[in-house]
Amino acid sequence: MVKKILSYSYIYIILLLLYLPVFYLIVYSFTAAELAGQWEGFSMELYRRLFLDEEIMTALGNTLILAAISALVSTLIGSLGAIGIYYAKKGVRTLVENVNQIPVVNAEIVIAMSLTVMFVFFGQHFFGGESTFSFWTLLAGHCVLATPFVYLNVKPKLLQMDPSLYEAAMDLGCSPSKAINKVVIPQIIPGILSGLLLSFTLSLDDFIVTAFTRGPGLLSGQAQIETLSTLVQSKIKKGAVPPEMRALTTIIFLIVLVIVAVYSIRINRKNKALSGKHARRRSAK
Amino acid sequence: MEKLQGKMESPFIIEMKNVTKIFDGTTVIDKMDLNIRKGEFVTILGPSGCGKSTTLRMIAGFETPTSGDILLNGRNITTIPPYRRPVNTVFQHYALFPNLDVYDNVAFGLRNKKIPMPLTDKEGKPVMKIDRAKVKDVKSQIRRIKHDKLISKEERETRLEALEKRLHEILSTPVQAYKYRHLTEQEIDEKVVHALSVVDLDELEDRDITTLSGGQQQRVAIARAITCEPLILLLDEPLGALDLKMRKDMQLELKEMHKRLGITFIYVTHDQEEALTMSDTIIVMNDGVIQQIGTPEAIYNEPQNAFVADFIGSSNIYNATVIAPRKVRFLNHVYDCLDDFPVNERVDVIVRPEDVRLSDSPKDSYVEGRIASKVFKGIHYQYVIMIGHDEVLVQSIKDFDQTKPIYLDIRPDGIHLMKRANDLNIYTDSYIGKDHKVYIDDAPFDCDLSCLFPNASVDEDGIVTYDKKKYDFANADVTATIDPRALAISDDTSEANVTGEVINAVYKGDHYVILVRTENEEDFFVATPYTFNPGDIVGLTAKKEDIKLKLRGDLEDYEI
Repeated sequence: MVKKILSYSYIYIILLLLYLPVFYLIVYSFTAAELAGQWEGFSMELYRRLFLDEEIMTALGNTLILAAISALVSTLIGSLGAIGIYYAKKGVRTLVENVNQIPVVNAEIVIAMSLTVMFVFFGQHFFGGESTFSFWTLLAGHCVLATPFVYLNVKPKLLQMDPSLYEAAMDLGCSPSKAINKVVIPQIIPGILSGLLLSFTLSLDDFIVTAFTRGPGLLSGQAQIETLSTLVQSKIKKGAVPPEMRALTTIIFLIVLVIVAVYSIRINRKNKALSGKHARRRSAK
Repeated sequence: MEKLQGKMESPFIIEMKNVTKIFDGTTVIDKMDLNIRKGEFVTILGPSGCGKSTTLRMIAGFETPTSGDILLNGRNITTIPPYRRPVNTVFQHYALFPNLDVYDNVAFGLRNKKIPMPLTDKEGKPVMKIDRAKVKDVKSQIRRIKHDKLISKEERETRLEALEKRLHEILSTPVQAYKYRHLTEQEIDEKVVHALSVVDLDELEDRDITTLSGGQQQRVAIARAITCEPLILLLDEPLGALDLKMRKDMQLELKEMHKRLGITFIYVTHDQEEALTMSDTIIVMNDGVIQQIGTPEAIYNEPQNAFVADFIGSSNIYNATVIAPRKVRFLNHVYDCLDDFPVNERVDVIVRPEDVRLSDSPKDSYVEGRIASKVFKGIHYQYVIMIGHDEVLVQSIKDFDQTKPIYLDIRPDGIHLMKRANDLNIYTDSYIGKDHKVYIDDAPFDCDLSCLFPNASVDEDGIVTYDKKKYDFANADVTATIDPRALAISDDTSEANVTGEVINAVYKGDHYVILVRTENEEDFFVATPYTFNPGDIVGLTAKKEDIKLKLRGDLEDYEI
């Protein structure tokens, strides 16, 4: 009994340590105090100011657009890459897998620096000396960051799959692309989805690559693209963190919480209930 | 012209012509010719790695031969992808689609299937078009022949010419055009229900694949493959994952299904009993080469070589000599036999364990031996009887006393003679190196150069003196011969002249004959009392005096 209490309390202490800061943040987003840690009574003032602050709204818009596009692009590249490499010859497969490891373990600053150097080089030699920095370089940077992680999410699903499924589909009249669509993708879709989520969150909170590869564009117009992370950073340089940020991060946390909850509930439901689909087909007949 | 060709009915549904398949430099299928008759239950039987699955995969279209052609009903299908072949496969681990239920799995092929409908214009006249699919097909055949390095230049040119001619013909003669339609849900439903009833799974159509037992999954896999009404059903060791009892039931059921469906079954297995039970024809393969094709009875009773005899059922194999017409000597005794071989020919003798007769009292023509072991097997006893150094495996329903001498006899119809394949290792492409060693398969062996000529002598520098002339045989081409008994085989490869992999081993009464293949695909036969398993890496050594040499080319060239 004591042992049981101890083992449970261990996990709860860990969880508490993990979530305590977030809990503080959420609590202090409901007070109007400039400095975090001071309680000046419950108020939704920060939320009101947040939605009125054009600077933050622009950065939020930029961040979401960038995260959505880069997540889609890196999921596409990463998933197709994983499928291609899975069916490639052994030599090619080990080569690509090792190359894929490097961006994952590499320091982000190295990726950011090398991308910057490359974009400057491109600008000088292929674009007549003009700066290439724009939304596109930023997007490329985020895709470089996220694609290896998508690959790592999809690969285990492919390894779990029966390798002859693809051949079975071809045997039953599917062309290679149709076989991938109808048989392989349904098998690895959980991996693709978790890759999509991961690349979305990676892009959402990325600072280093963003700071190095951004240029003018998106909602910022002619000015440098500001994302939430770069905005916070520039604010900190001048003084304290703007209190509205507490409200914003609370909202982001809650949205992520909802997404994760919905996702895991759906997976659980899929594993448990199997009969629903058949009932549907029967009624359609 | 086209129609005439189509009507030339050949009795064979599949013809493989001179097919070779090479994977990364390893020859898996070596110049195979194979014809499969329409409607037969054909089993390709062989040990793992013999190329049987590759053969099946080439028929299915998952592999393209490196060289050679595959014909289906007389039409060249070598370059046609699997999804356009009227052939379906039951996979080894079923490969059912886990995201679909039983019904949708079975309906999968039907949903992809398209029915051709003659295309007509507004006035009802047939629309004529050039057959694009055929053009593509012929073009891919041309590409393939151009890159085929294994066929001779003349053959390539004549074939290319014929294909170009055919391409021109197709391009200049428009044929009836077709439009294609999918099957309706109702048509699909009928066919799925029928297929499920064939495999007795009517009740389970709504079940999820993961909730089915192995045997049920097996049936779904078969139903899925037969709904598209293929001309050939390919089965790749489909019963391997089932337990023994279920396997026996499924064997009979598959045989029954074959009769009912009337299509050709090509079945791949390594289980000889399965092959004997089900097949009309058995193709025994080993090492990428067909060893024997025949009915189960023929394969069992008249094996063509020691490999087949050893692989199918248990058998006793001995070296023997024909001493008089229809008389053969082995086991220290002369037996009458039915096979007619030339006198003094050295042969392999096969005796099935059930063809040996035992007696506990001495009788005419019976040979005395002693029982080395006795095992009760349910319907019979299995004895190992020693006659001198030779072991004889015998099955008998009688219970003999293990401590007393035993007497055995073999009737003429129980003795099967075969030409001996591997008496000597002969290497015609060997040469003498600068160090005066003989290089067989590029591995140096010590040798005695004086054996090239009678009364010759050799000095320390490898210079041969013969008939008062001196010769230096460095770089000379020779033929080297080694008796299998003179080769020593060992797990220790460090001291060996040459190392290789054990390909197969055949037991011959008191020794094994082992085939060892080196990395350069050179074969060595070794006779040894010790057992080695296929796949073992072994080293071979030969003594100087056991290597016989014969010079190829002129003696004068080497005079000094």
